[in-house]
Amino acid sequence: MNDRTITERIAFHDAIATMEVDFSSLTFADAAQVDAIYDDIERRLAETGRRWYFLVIYTDCVIVPQAWERFAERGKKANIDHGLGSVRVGATAQTRDAIRESAGRDFFRANIYDTRDQAMLALGEMRKRRRDAQSAAEDVFLRVQNVSLRFGGVKAITGVSFEIKRGEITSIIGPNGAGKSSMLNVINGVYHPQEGTITFLGNVRHQMRPHEAAMQGIARTFQNIALFKGMSVLDNIMTGRNLKMKANMLQQAFWLGPAQREELDHRRKVEEIIDFLEIQHIRKTPVGRLPYGLQKRVDLARALAMEPQLLLLDEPMAGMNVEEKQDMCRFILDLNDQFGTTVLLIEHDMGVVMDLSDFVVVLDHGEKIADGTADEVRADPLVISAYLGASH
Amino acid sequence: MFYRENGQFKTSYQSDQQVFPIPQDRWVILGIVAFAFLGIPLLVDEYLFRAILIPFLILSLAALGVNILVGYCGQITLGAGAFMAVGAYAAYNFLIRISGMPALGAILLGGLTAAAVGIVFGIPSLRVRGLYLAVATLAAQFFCDWAFLRVKWFTNDSSSGSVSVAEINLLGWTIDSPTDKYLFCLGILVVFSLMAKNLVRGSIGRQWMAIRDMDVAATVIGIRPMYAKLSAFAVSSFYVGVAGALWGFVHLGSWEPAAFSIDRSFQLLFMVIIGGMGSIVGSFFGAAFIVILPIFLNQILPVIGGLFGLDVSIALVSHVEIMIFGALIVFFLIVEPHGIARLWSTGREKLRLWPFPH
Amino acid sequence: MSFFLETLLGGLMSGMLYSLVALGFVLIYKASGVFNFAQGAMVLFAALSMARFSEWIPGWLGMDNLFMANVLAFVVSVVVMFAVAWLIERLVLRHLVNQEGATLLMATLGIAYFLDGVGQTIFGSDIYKIDVGMPKEPVMMLESVFEGGILINKEDFIAAFISALLVLALTVFFQKTATGRALRAVADDHQAAQSIGIPLGRIWVIVWCVAGITALVAGIIWGSKLGAQFSLSTVALRALPVVILGGLTSVPGAILGGLIIGVGEKVSEVYLGPMVGGGIEIWFAYMLALVVLLFRPQGLFGEKIIDRV
Repeated sequence: MNDRTITERIAFHDAIATMEVDFSSLTFADAAQVDAIYDDIERRLAETGRRWYFLVIYTDCVIVPQAWERFAERGKKANIDHGLGSVRVGATAQTRDAIRESAGRDFFRANIYDTRDQAMLALGEMRKRRRDAQSAAEDVFLRVQNVSLRFGGVKAITGVSFEIKRGEITSIIGPNGAGKSSMLNVINGVYHPQEGTITFLGNVRHQMRPHEAAMQGIARTFQNIALFKGMSVLDNIMTGRNLKMKANMLQQAFWLGPAQREELDHRRKVEEIIDFLEIQHIRKTPVGRLPYGLQKRVDLARALAMEPQLLLLDEPMAGMNVEEKQDMCRFILDLNDQFGTTVLLIEHDMGVVMDLSDFVVVLDHGEKIADGTADEVRADPLVISAYLGASH
Repeated sequence: MFYRENGQFKTSYQSDQQVFPIPQDRWVILGIVAFAFLGIPLLVDEYLFRAILIPFLILSLAALGVNILVGYCGQITLGAGAFMAVGAYAAYNFLIRISGMPALGAILLGGLTAAAVGIVFGIPSLRVRGLYLAVATLAAQFFCDWAFLRVKWFTNDSSSGSVSVAEINLLGWTIDSPTDKYLFCLGILVVFSLMAKNLVRGSIGRQWMAIRDMDVAATVIGIRPMYAKLSAFAVSSFYVGVAGALWGFVHLGSWEPAAFSIDRSFQLLFMVIIGGMGSIVGSFFGAAFIVILPIFLNQILPVIGGLFGLDVSIALVSHVEIMIFGALIVFFLIVEPHGIARLWSTGREKLRLWPFPH
Repeated sequence: MSFFLETLLGGLMSGMLYSLVALGFVLIYKASGVFNFAQGAMVLFAALSMARFSEWIPGWLGMDNLFMANVLAFVVSVVVMFAVAWLIERLVLRHLVNQEGATLLMATLGIAYFLDGVGQTIFGSDIYKIDVGMPKEPVMMLESVFEGGILINKEDFIAAFISALLVLALTVFFQKTATGRALRAVADDHQAAQSIGIPLGRIWVIVWCVAGITALVAGIIWGSKLGAQFSLSTVALRALPVVILGGLTSVPGAILGGLIIGVGEKVSEVYLGPMVGGGIEIWFAYMLALVVLLFRPQGLFGEKIIDRV
C-alpha cells in the first residue's frame, strides 16, 4: 500500500496555518482505504482544534474510479469541518479532470497547480484576501449592498453594491441618468430602496428618514443648490448647526443665558467655516443675490456646519469655471485632510475625479459596471465603451 | 441723511447679534416706545383710543401671530379668527370658573389653550400644504364658529353665545379707562414683540424659515418638520389667542362668536400680506393700515363724492373699502410681495443716503 | 322611510348645486393650475348682473316681454363675464406666471373681495329677484310606491338636469377638442406650455370665460332659488370641501363630491344634529374634507400629488 504512515505524510505549518498532506505515490483502491486514511487525517485535525489551509500533493497519486466518490465526499467534509481553503499540486490528468468536475458540481475552487511553489504563492494570496475581508468587516464605514430602487416602472438603480472606507474620497461617475443622484438620495434617506441594505458605521439601516441620516452624521449638498433663499449666508450656515443647538423655545424667547451663549458659541464655529471657505465678504448677503459659484460654496459651508462624518457632494463643480473648480478642489482636499471627513462625490469632470479620488465607482443605466482606483477604472474597457469614449 | 451704516464696525459677535445693531436705530425705537407710553396718553382723546389705538395694538399682536405662521414658517392659515375665539372664550371660562383668577392670568391661559388647539389643527400641515392646508384651517374656523354658538358649556349657558367681562384687575390696578386699557395693551404688545424678535433671530426662527424656503433641504440638515411646523402653529396660536382674549376683555367688553368670524380671519391674513410677510415690523404696518383705512375712507369718500355730485352712503363706503382691500392685495402680491415693510426699508435706505445716490 | 327619501333627494338636489359651483373651481384648476377663490364672487357677480339687467333692460328698451328681457339679460351677462375674465387675465394673472400656489391663491382671494365690492357698488346690495320662469311649486311624486308620496321640488329637478348637461358639454370640450388639450397642458406647467407655443394669455381668458359661464348658470339657478344677494359669495366656501372630496382635477369628482356632501349635510343635520345642538351643517362638509385630506389628499378621483426632490 504505502511505505509511509499517514502521520508521516501530514505536516502542520503553524506560521502560515497550513496543513500539508502528501498523497504522492499513493493508490486509493477502494472506499474502505479512503475512509481509513481520512479518518486518521480528521483525527489529527480535530486534535488541533483549529482551522487550516490545506496543501495537498497529488504527484503520482492514483485514485481508482470506484473510490473516487468516497474520496471526494471525505475531502469535502474535511474542508467544511476544518478547512480554510485548499490548493492542490501535481495531479495526473485523469485526477485533475475528476477534481475539476467535482469542483464544478459542488462549487469550490479546484486550485490545481503544477509545482509546490506556485501552490504556496496561491495560498499566500488566499490568506491575504481573508485578512483584508476581516479587517473590512470590522470597520465598515459605508457599505451599499445589492440596492435596487424603482419609481413605478422606471428602474433607477439595480443591484448596486460597493463600499467606502473611512477617510477616503470616493467618486461616483457615469453618464447622465445612470442613477448617481438617486444613489446619494438612497444613502441619505430621501428615497427608500425596494431591495438591498445600507450599512453605515456598522449599523444596518431600514427606512431611514433624512433627518435621522443627518443625526447619524451624513451631510449632503444638492445639484440644484437647495439653499434657503429668504435668509442670509450666515443664517443659512447657522441652520446647519441646528442639530447641535439645545436651548428650548422659552429660553430663546427671552434670550436667557443658555440661549445667548449657545448662539455665540455656534456663531464662532460657523465663522471658522466661513474663514475656511473664504466667504467672509458675503456673510450678510441674502443668498438669492449671490452668483452661482458662491451659492455652491455656501451650500458646502452649510453641510460642513453639521460636522459630518460622511459628506455627500452632488456635482459640486457643475457650472463652474476653471478657477472656481480649482478652489473647490482645494476645499475638498483640505476638508478631507484637516477635518478627516469622508467624502462621496458625484462628478462629471474626469480630470477632477482622477485627481481627487482614492476610489471610483462607475454606474451606467442604474448598474455598477466597474469600481476601483482611478487608474484601474480609467483603463477598464467596459467603462471606456460606456462612458469615457476616447482615452483620457 | 441723518446717519449711516457705513463706518459702524462691530468687534464682537454679541454686538453683531443685537436686535438693533445700529445705535441710532436703537435710540429711535426706544424713543418711539417711550413716546407711546408717556406722550400719547397726554395728547390723545378718548375717541382715538377706542377707535384706533386700542384696536391697532390688539390686532398688531394678532398679526404678529399670523405672520409667524404664514410669513416665517410658510404655512397658510384661514382660521386665525377661530383661534382668537378660542383665546377669548377660554380666558372667559378661566376667569369665571376659577375664583380669584387674575385677569392677566386668564388671558395668558386663554392663549395657552389656543396654542393647544392650534397644535391639533396644525397636524394636517404635516401631510398637506397650500390650498389643502387652507381648507383644513377653514375647518377649524367653521367648527369653532359652531362650537361657541351651540355648545352651552363654553358660554356659560348663554343662549346667543354672547358673554361679557365686567372688570379687569391687574394687581390692584383697575383697568377701565381708555388710557388704562391702552397702556395695558401697549405693555403686552411690547413684551410679546420682543419675544417674537428673539424667537425669530434664534434657532427656532431659522428652522421656521428653512421649512418655509425648502422643506426637503431642511430635513436633510436635520430639522424635524413636525417640530418646526407644530411649534409655529403653537406660538402663532398663542399670540392670536392672547390677542383674542384682549379683544374680548379690553376692547369689546362683551362679545359673541360673530366677532371672530371668517371675515376676521381674512382681515388678519390681509394685514400680513399688505404689511409684509416675514417681518415683525410689517405686522404693525399691516394692522395700522387695516385699522385706519376704513376710517380714512369714511371721511374722504363723501368729500370726493360731493365733488362729483354723488351721494355717498355708508353702505357704499363699505363696498368701496372691500374693493380697495381686494385691489391692494393683488397689487402687493404682484408688485411687492414683501409688503409695506419692504417699501419702508427700501425707502429708509434711500433716505439714509440722500442726497447721495449710493 | 319616505321622510328619509325626501331628505335624501333634497340633499341630492342641493348637492347638484354645489357641484355646479365646484365645477368652476375644477375647470380653472385643471386648465391653469390656479385655485380660484373668486369663483363664488363670480357666481354672485353673474347673478347680480342677470338680475339687474333683466330689470333694467325692459326699462331702457321699453319692452314688456319677460322672456325677451331674460334672454337679452343673459346675453349681456355673458358679455360681462367675458369682460371680467379678460380683465382678470390682463391685470392679474399675466403678472403672476409661475408663482407658487399660495401666492396665486391669495391673489384670487383679493380678486374675490374686489369683485364683491365692485358688484355691489354697480348693482346695489339688496336682494334681487331672478325670474327665469323656473317652476316654483313642489310636486308630489311616486304616490303609488310610498305612502303619501314624496315631495319633490321641480325647480331643483330642473337645476340638476341643467347641471348634468353642462357637465357633459364640458367633459367633451376638455377631452375631445384641441383647445381642451391645450388647457390641460397649461395646467401641468405654465412655462413648458408657453415654450411650445401655446398662447398662455389667450388660454387663460378662455378658461376664465368658461368658468364665468358656469358661474352664470350657477348664479341664475341659485339666484332664482334664493334671490341674488350678498350671501351668494359664501357659496364658494360651501363648495370648497366638495372640491377636496372629489379631487381638484376631476370633473366627475366634483359632481360626485357635491352629491355626497349635499346628502351628507342634510342627513347629518336631520339625524345627528339634534344630538349635538343642531346647526352642524356649517362644519360637516369641512370636517369631512379634513378627514379626506389626512388620509387621501388627492380626493376620490384626483391625481396623486407627487413631491419631487
